[in-house]
Amino acid sequence: MKKHQNTLIAAACAGAMLLAGCGKKDDTLKLFCWSEYVPQAVIDKFTEETGIKVSVENYASNEEMLAKLLAGGGAYDLIQPSEYTIQAMTKEGLLQELDQEKIPNLKNLAPEFRNMPFDPGNKYSIPWMAGFVGIVYNAETVTTPVVGFSDVFKPEHAGRIVVLDDSREIVSWALATAGIPVNDVSDQNLATITPMLKDWLSKVKVYDSDSPKTAMSNGDTDLGVVWSGEGALLFAENPKFQWVMPAEGVHMFVDNLAIPKTSQNKDKAEAFMNFILRPDISKMISDDFPYYNPNAEGRKLLSAEQLNNPASYPPGFDVTKAELFTDIGEQASKVDELITTIKVQ
Amino acid sequence: MAITAATAALATSGPSPQRRAGPGPWFALTPMLGWLLLFVIVPTLMLIVVSFSERDALGRVVYSFNFENYIRAFDWKWLKILGISVWYAFLTTVICLILGYPVAYFIGRSSERVRGLLIMLVMIPFWTSFLIRTYAWISILAQEGLLNALLMTLNITSAPIGFMYTPFAVVLGLVYNFLPFMILPIYTSVEKLDGSLIEAAYDLGARPARVFGQIVLPLTKPGIAAGILLVFVPAIAMFAITTLMGGGANPTIGEVIQNQFTKARNQPFGAALGVLLLAIFLFSLWLSTKFRRGEED
Repeated sequence: MKKHQNTLIAAACAGAMLLAGCGKKDDTLKLFCWSEYVPQAVIDKFTEETGIKVSVENYASNEEMLAKLLAGGGAYDLIQPSEYTIQAMTKEGLLQELDQEKIPNLKNLAPEFRNMPFDPGNKYSIPWMAGFVGIVYNAETVTTPVVGFSDVFKPEHAGRIVVLDDSREIVSWALATAGIPVNDVSDQNLATITPMLKDWLSKVKVYDSDSPKTAMSNGDTDLGVVWSGEGALLFAENPKFQWVMPAEGVHMFVDNLAIPKTSQNKDKAEAFMNFILRPDISKMISDDFPYYNPNAEGRKLLSAEQLNNPASYPPGFDVTKAELFTDIGEQASKVDELITTIKVQ
Repeated sequence: MAITAATAALATSGPSPQRRAGPGPWFALTPMLGWLLLFVIVPTLMLIVVSFSERDALGRVVYSFNFENYIRAFDWKWLKILGISVWYAFLTTVICLILGYPVAYFIGRSSERVRGLLIMLVMIPFWTSFLIRTYAWISILAQEGLLNALLMTLNITSAPIGFMYTPFAVVLGLVYNFLPFMILPIYTSVEKLDGSLIEAAYDLGARPARVFGQIVLPLTKPGIAAGILLVFVPAIAMFAITTLMGGGANPTIGEVIQNQFTKARNQPFGAALGVLLLAIFLFSLWLSTKFRRGEED
């Protein structure tokens, strides 16, 4: 099958060559990244300073990125996986080891974001942005105190809740509430939390991972369990959108840049890594996407308003206490089936 | 694509030529056949092969031969999701037919100059991406959106109505996006209607209802069949509109299949559901062909 696929790709490329004259050695840096995460201004500045052309392709989930990368369709030079995907990919030997001498700006990273458990010593990846999953609520319509997940899924909020459309996330909130480690998705633990999930999901109005802030700012929901960047944008839009770090436990995600084994442009990819670790560039990223910036030097350039946004930089929160996801392999399919089953009941 | 080609043939078929074609036409067909082979037949075969396979921890397809995915697919929950999707598509088709037929008839019976203009008006919304048009609906239907603001300003309602994230919003989004696919094939049939047949019917004393039922409707049946197919089939599998307008609480089969590829790392199961959907499409095509054949007999 693989062989046939290659023949097909060759045939398709032959066709494309006739049309576009491809086939000459390609020296553009092919960036495969999340949609709405890499500001165009950063890419333009990189090209302007180094003369290296960058082509961008987007994905909407780690799994989508993996599927496209492993199918061998595009030769990507730089990808942007989250922590558990870095872990899975290094285990399978799918990433190239970084030459840290080419990335001197690594020193700008805050110490807690170097040497993270999913990639000790930053051997394969550098952090791009980090963030949390927490609770946002409209203080004009929600008058009872909200401190954790169990306050969100109360009967009086039924039909007024938006949550991420992400089965792994939803399951992790229930695990945390039940006092189970969020990465322990054994069949038995899934069975334990099923009644809780049934109760919770019966109250959810909207599932949206891409732009959960839409339902909040349109007034269609009063509470949400969403990415901290979305919470920060809502807070910046109107301070009535309050941010809460869930009392049951906080999940932190770290998105990273890494170079796939198949890349032929390692030098250029490392140049890009070094570039985005520069404080002024890091600030540009924070300006557009108000997540938790792991770059300590970059953070110094942010305005007081940016740093005081409680969703971007939760006051008094120790990021080393946050839970990180680990790879759960084939259980991902079971987790997805569980949530789908509950949705249709 | 195959279905589109087939329905186009359904809508425009005339008397078949008696002369056998020489090699010339076959040569002219090569690009189309090449297209069909590369983008319809090969991908479909790949889908079928993957649907019998397994996957590893990273979601890579491991080629093997087992029926696991199909056994899993025939579980009540997936069938229920399929049922809901078919129901949405059915409602969409019926509403599109009721709204689209009079429009198509009116356009088809207008003078030639007006006709071009009206068809143009039907097509213009298609110049904008359907995602943008769907987002426009979201800002109209939202609780703090335009429609609620209008209703409350006119004192028709005192509190905002939750239009968004309901089955109503889903069907509205589907009807809005698929309506032209109903109008255009019916218009093609109406345009070819022989006006003298209608006049003859009136001359023979038929009332308008009878003229419509016995002359107009049978003669525009090919267009109706094509329109139904062009709306019903893609509406079952649509996922972008249903997710955005429905809020994902009642997933459709298109959303579930998309999930297998983008989140659940289970392409083989997604492929198996895709093959089942394909079987439903072929069944609808067969039904529609039968519907038309019945007319010719």
